Amino acid sequence: MVTEEEIEHVSKLIKIDIDDHKEYVEKVRAMIDYFDVLDSAGVESEEISMPEISISNLRADEHIPFDDKLIEKLNHYKGTYVRAPKMSS
Amino acid sequence: MTMIGLEIHCQLTNLNSKLFCSCKANYREFEINENICPVCMGLPGSLPRLNQEAVKKATIIAMALNCSTPEKIAFFRKNYFYPDSPKNFQITQLNIYGDTSVGGSGSIMVGDKKIRITRIQLEEDPGRLIYEGSSSKNQITLVDYNRAGTPLVEIVTEPDFETPKEVRDFLNILSDILTNLGVADPSLEGAMRADANVSIEGGKKVEIKNIGSFHDLEKAAHFEITRQESLHSRDIEIIQETRHWDDKRKITVSSRSKEEELDYRYFLEGDIPWISMDPEIHTKLQSEMPESISSKKERYVSKYNIPAQVADVLSSDKYYSDLFEESHTESNAKEVANIITTDLMGLVDTREKREASKFTATHLKELADSIQSGKIARNSSKNALHEILKTGKDLSTVIKELDLGNVSDESELSEIITQVISEESQAVEQTKSNPQTINYLVGKVMQKTKGKADPALTLDLLKKQIGI
Amino acid sequence: MNLKISALDYVQEVKTGNISAEDFVAKTIERIQSVDSTLNAFLSVNEKSVDQARGIDKKIKSGEKVGDCFGMPISIKDNMCIKDSKTTCASKMLEDFIAPYDATVITKLKQQDAIFVGKVNMDEFAMGLTTEFSAFGPSKNPWNTDCVPGGSSGGSAVSVSALECVASLGSDTGGSVRNPASFCSTVGYKPTYGLISRYGLISYANSIEQIGPLARTVKDTAFMLNLIAGIDPNDNTTIDNKNEDYLTGIESGIEGKKIGIIKEMMGEGIDPAVLSATKDAISKLESLGAICEEISLDMVKYSVAAYYTITATEAGSNLARYDNLRYGYDFPLEGYEFNSYISKARRNFGPEVTRRMIIGGFVPSAGHAGKYFLKALKVKSKLTKEINDAFKKFDLLVAPTVPILPFKIGEKIDDPVSLFLVDINTVTANLTGKPAISVPYANSNGLPIGIQLMADSMNDKLLLQAAYALEQTVSLPEVPL
Repeated sequence: MVTEEEIEHVSKLIKIDIDDHKEYVEKVRAMIDYFDVLDSAGVESEEISMPEISISNLRADEHIPFDDKLIEKLNHYKGTYVRAPKMSS
Repeated sequence: MTMIGLEIHCQLTNLNSKLFCSCKANYREFEINENICPVCMGLPGSLPRLNQEAVKKATIIAMALNCSTPEKIAFFRKNYFYPDSPKNFQITQLNIYGDTSVGGSGSIMVGDKKIRITRIQLEEDPGRLIYEGSSSKNQITLVDYNRAGTPLVEIVTEPDFETPKEVRDFLNILSDILTNLGVADPSLEGAMRADANVSIEGGKKVEIKNIGSFHDLEKAAHFEITRQESLHSRDIEIIQETRHWDDKRKITVSSRSKEEELDYRYFLEGDIPWISMDPEIHTKLQSEMPESISSKKERYVSKYNIPAQVADVLSSDKYYSDLFEESHTESNAKEVANIITTDLMGLVDTREKREASKFTATHLKELADSIQSGKIARNSSKNALHEILKTGKDLSTVIKELDLGNVSDESELSEIITQVISEESQAVEQTKSNPQTINYLVGKVMQKTKGKADPALTLDLLKKQIGI
Repeated sequence: MNLKISALDYVQEVKTGNISAEDFVAKTIERIQSVDSTLNAFLSVNEKSVDQARGIDKKIKSGEKVGDCFGMPISIKDNMCIKDSKTTCASKMLEDFIAPYDATVITKLKQQDAIFVGKVNMDEFAMGLTTEFSAFGPSKNPWNTDCVPGGSSGGSAVSVSALECVASLGSDTGGSVRNPASFCSTVGYKPTYGLISRYGLISYANSIEQIGPLARTVKDTAFMLNLIAGIDPNDNTTIDNKNEDYLTGIESGIEGKKIGIIKEMMGEGIDPAVLSATKDAISKLESLGAICEEISLDMVKYSVAAYYTITATEAGSNLARYDNLRYGYDFPLEGYEFNSYISKARRNFGPEVTRRMIIGGFVPSAGHAGKYFLKALKVKSKLTKEINDAFKKFDLLVAPTVPILPFKIGEKIDDPVSLFLVDINTVTANLTGKPAISVPYANSNGLPIGIQLMADSMNDKLLLQAAYALEQTVSLPEVPL
């Protein structure tokens, strides 16, 4: 069961300022409640599988500079630093 | 009982490229934001490309620290928001589906004490933040991403340290090991950082972050122990928290911990498959590993009869052991070791001095051989060394230019001895009756030759001329 | 000049000089100008298309080597980076983002002299099934403009189906290429996971998504696959397909092939027209020599829940980078503190993306991961086991692509769970990494129905052969627009 407080908590976690948490509760609750069906899947003993590659297929350790002056192509900065707001602590 | 554990981050500065892209691993020579690409900037659509050599170097570190190394390694995402982290998650390693980080369950000896290594993991360094603006109203954070993506090895220890000094000793040993392996240069600014966790009397653990140097780490640990003991003695509860080291005031301060940020929502990094470490790779890495410090020390002592303390210095500093290895022979080993640890050491005690030094292994061999053969007196060899270090000229040139050569020419020496004998007739008479006093006359010859007379030859010729 | 030409025929016509690339591209642009104000498939049109086509004609005339596309006009879903072009993912968060590099698929197509005639509409950040969640307005189904074209690669399907381009590249995370292909009566292909490089594809759920071509014929799809598939050093998850040629032998037929009919994909809630079309397709497959038999994949029942749990978690993480500091849209940071700035900046995500990210923050979080996220991963594992077992017995699997007909715009937008279930037949291929294709098969009162075929991993060639064989059994009406 998802509560408004939990949605408020998660929205802080994912850093989205939601005006009205109530608005999202209904739909998010419906979606998450639907996921309860996973409980009947009987998969407790399953192992999680992942694709594999051999270490020899990994990238060689070479310095290859990116050919463009990348920082000039991104916006939101003056000069060469990227600017960010002040940190709170 | 005090318990201190460490979390050490070491940059693999000897690699050519970053962990997940081909930008340079050692970012220090670049202008702001010049060592970046779509991958390390986390641009939309970019994907990480794991550096094969980084995995190998991390595995070598794990082996050197006696860790177990798994057959397959995996990477995870640690999700949190911070301006120095361009993707707002860090690709790192964890052991939540079995042992999947590069190394686990190892140990290092610090003197007689065993310090256990919990695990070793590969991860990426974030960028660097600079704060601009004085008043809190217009303060801006400036971010340089040159460092973002630099390969890091995180080494976590069990809380086996009992004193801040043990911590300091451990870090020095670890530093030497990493340098000896050729994987990193811990002396580079910011290349090796450590956080500590401290608890006393089996109580709550307090984490201390933001420690700038090993020197500060010792101080911070010391302060924190004192702080906790003081609370404990007054029956005040020690809160489990994260504190940061305030370098100005030399104290640890409680960090404002934000509960939400502690939930990192770890999950497997879908852009990097599990890496299978073929058993042949393990064997190959093991065989290619440079000789360990302790093995070198043992060899220097047993094979060349070098005193233990000298062997200690030689083996633990790669710069010295490299010089020794290249310049020594069976016969001059002890002399080479001696030159390094008495005369050379004081002249190359910083990396700038080492980079500027023109004194090579060839020079060293020549110098040691020349001292042994009597071509140059030990006193004069110090001056020669100085000069060679500055100019790089070969020994014979320097001896000539500075007139440092031993006077070992028989006729030349005989003439001087004849002179001394004629000037010191009383001493000569004394020596005839009491041969022990010949040293006075040797001293006079030395004076005349400014210490360059070959001592053995001088004694010989003197005896002959006096007739004893 | 007929715009409804297949890619292969286009190439032939240009090669032999019957048509010029410039004329065809110019006509294509005219077509876009004429119908797109109704259809809203394009987010941006490449003004230089005709000039580029003229350049290709010059190359052809001078005898210079020309790439295999010969100036073919292709549309690209707006979540793939084209250097120096706007790439928005149909989101206000990226409305000013200009990509500084090319996606690998773009590099490959550029080398083959394709012309990118524009970037097409999608659900914001590929999250959706109808293209209604685009921040720039929904696209319309050219077969019935009151209906959704499907999603999230709606713009791709619309542009191909409405003759605004010859082929398109979309992306498929849970059906996002196959679903709109089915709704718009085009071919839509999702390859084996790892066959096509994702470098330059803006990530939504990176462990299961793939770029996929949409085209008018199965052979065209194979042609596109040849151009863009293959191992890429820029993407560690790509696999070596040893330069397989997907076009040769495509007419081999399916004599003797065993085809499994997935029971759980034909169940409750299926539209009778869709069911009847599927049964008809199965009998056609049998008449071509295949042996069709029912098979049960029990985990399909849980596949949608597993899919949305996993993708929300990955999306929450993949979209964390959009904090508007390094790129994004104009929003000055003076006066703000870090957390308050980025929380405010990220309000520019649309409501569906926000919902998914909330879910994505919830399901893997410390208190809930065991119940949701980890369980979903286990369902994924078990489903993969089940389908691998099925492929020991069968060469191919069949089911309708979407169990329902294209529905009206706005009909399901407020009912998220009902919308989820539109995906029930398609997410399995993504969760298990298997290749899947939607072949346009029927038309019910003007509304298109597609049939889906799946093959085992790396059996893309076989899959295309079966799709081609099925395609040849139908003759479909012209698009009404």
